[in-house]
Amino acid sequence: MSNDDHILIVGGGPAGSATALAARHEGAEVTIVDRKTHVGIPVQCGEAIGKTGPGIAEIEIPEESIRVPIRGFRVYSPALISVDFAEKEPSGYIIDRRVFDKELLARAAESGSDVLLGAKVIDLTRKNGSVDGVVVRHNGARKTIKAKVVIGADGVNSEIARLTGLRRSFKPADIDSCYGYEMVNCDLEFPDLMEFLLGSELCPRGYIWIFPKGEGRANVGIGIGGGFGTHTAQQYLDHFIKHHEIAKRQLAKAKIVECRVGALPVCGPNEQNVVDGALLVGDAAGHVHPITGGGMGYAIVCGSIAGQVAAKCVSKGDVSADRLQEYETKWRKRYGDEFAQSLKLRDLLIETEDQTLDKLAKIVTGDSVVKMASARKVKIFAKAMATRDRKLITLMKELRKLKMV
Amino acid sequence: MTPTEKTSKKLAKVNGEICGICQACATVCPTNAIDVFEHYIVVLPDRCTGCGTCTKVCPVEAITLVKR
Ligand SMILES: Cc1cc2nc3c(=O)[nH]c(=O)nc-3n(C[C@H](O)[C@H](O)[C@H](O)COP(=O)(O)OP(=O)(O)OC[C@H]3O[C@@H](n4cnc5c(N)ncnc54)[C@H](O)[C@@H]3O)c2cc1C
Ligand code: SF4
Ligand code: SF4
Repeated sequence: MSNDDHILIVGGGPAGSATALAARHEGAEVTIVDRKTHVGIPVQCGEAIGKTGPGIAEIEIPEESIRVPIRGFRVYSPALISVDFAEKEPSGYIIDRRVFDKELLARAAESGSDVLLGAKVIDLTRKNGSVDGVVVRHNGARKTIKAKVVIGADGVNSEIARLTGLRRSFKPADIDSCYGYEMVNCDLEFPDLMEFLLGSELCPRGYIWIFPKGEGRANVGIGIGGGFGTHTAQQYLDHFIKHHEIAKRQLAKAKIVECRVGALPVCGPNEQNVVDGALLVGDAAGHVHPITGGGMGYAIVCGSIAGQVAAKCVSKGDVSADRLQEYETKWRKRYGDEFAQSLKLRDLLIETEDQTLDKLAKIVTGDSVVKMASARKVKIFAKAMATRDRKLITLMKELRKLKMV
Repeated sequence: MTPTEKTSKKLAKVNGEICGICQACATVCPTNAIDVFEHYIVVLPDRCTGCGTCTKVCPVEAITLVKR
């Protein structure tokens, strides 16, 4: 870390490690700093990840982090009408985040990146208005680290987002307030499907998930809209586990072996993620699906793009926002529509009454749920009209305006 | 006494025995009054206006408003 001709990545989570790996691949000097001494801990995640997101190719999911292969999902509507999607071959995994994050960081380090743990970034340094380093607190002392580009991969509560002015604070409704357990002795009905439950009483503006982790273990959690509902996320989840028939069927004998809290940005990406000498990626940039809450895959793909572009800009000696904008253009090309459409769909669904969701569940297939979540058009309009249900038809007309049906 | 301390009658307080450091409170605080560390979080009294926004998003009711 003696020279200042490097890319400094703030945050050693999936976004930071992916950025580092890609930048090293392009031959750049890389330093990762993280305020933690153990990345990935405490686990604050549902731990579900798709098998091959496009672009994750070079960054393979560490084998030692994989707990079980997943073939699809089952969604329960408020009145428990289920919609299934199951492929023959596994399409994703439930992983162990503590192993996953650590392993990705280890690979980033093995690829030649420097890693500084226990170093909390508290400020940026600038030269002629362009970011050219960070100030960290490390071992009780302040220290300045200069860099060519600073990458904010520092998660939902990004200090780099605040310091660059790219995002100040969230409104409560912009985030999901999450709570969860790792449980053992579960009696899961579908050991290779993820289960989701919806309902305004059950989990206001959010969902409850039951993800299998193999050998009778499960990751069971809830996300509710910030400021939504009358109870805390923990209270909603405990109520579900104790009283809901789906939980009673599968979790009656289950024991809790870990408690988890979490916060998730579900308001879509920041308007802009690039300034002179710095950029944001992962949760810091808002790279989280507004409906599913999935973020790891996006963090890794967008991180790969960020690493490539940053390395190129450093080698060309121009790290202005104009040049770094190539990153913003590239990730938006891939995911921009998906995030924007999902956000609109999410907002429509919040307004939709539970009974209408039940009717919708009756006419959609698992395949159309997958398509809608990735902003692709589905053919359910005629079926919906045939129900002659006024509220469902209104919903369809709104969806048609979004070109989703 | 800072200006904020003079005008606000309330202050956010964290129960460290319950807090799991999810950072939800810190992300919504309008004045950036919550500092997050690896094993704990801290409310900065001179920045906290007692607005209560943080209390709306905590998954476990670990942050509440108290009298200054
Ligand atoms: C309850 C819950 C369930 C989820 N379930 C899923 C799921 O099933 N599948 C999925 O794909 N996604 C899920 N997500 C989302 C996923 O966890 C995130 O999108 C992902 O972790 C983002 O990675 P990241 O690298 O951007 O940020 P993080 O993983 O948050 O990493 C940020 C890193 O930056 C460090 N840092 C922060 N501030 C500083 C600072 N000032 N100085 C130095 N270092 C700093 C932190 O210590 C941390 O190591 C879930 C999230 C939650 C909360
Ligand atoms: S009460 Fe308001 S100002 Fe104080 S910490 Fe909470 S959100 Fe911030
Ligand atoms: S929201 Fe609650 S659990 Fe999360 S960091 Fe704040 S006080 Fe702790």
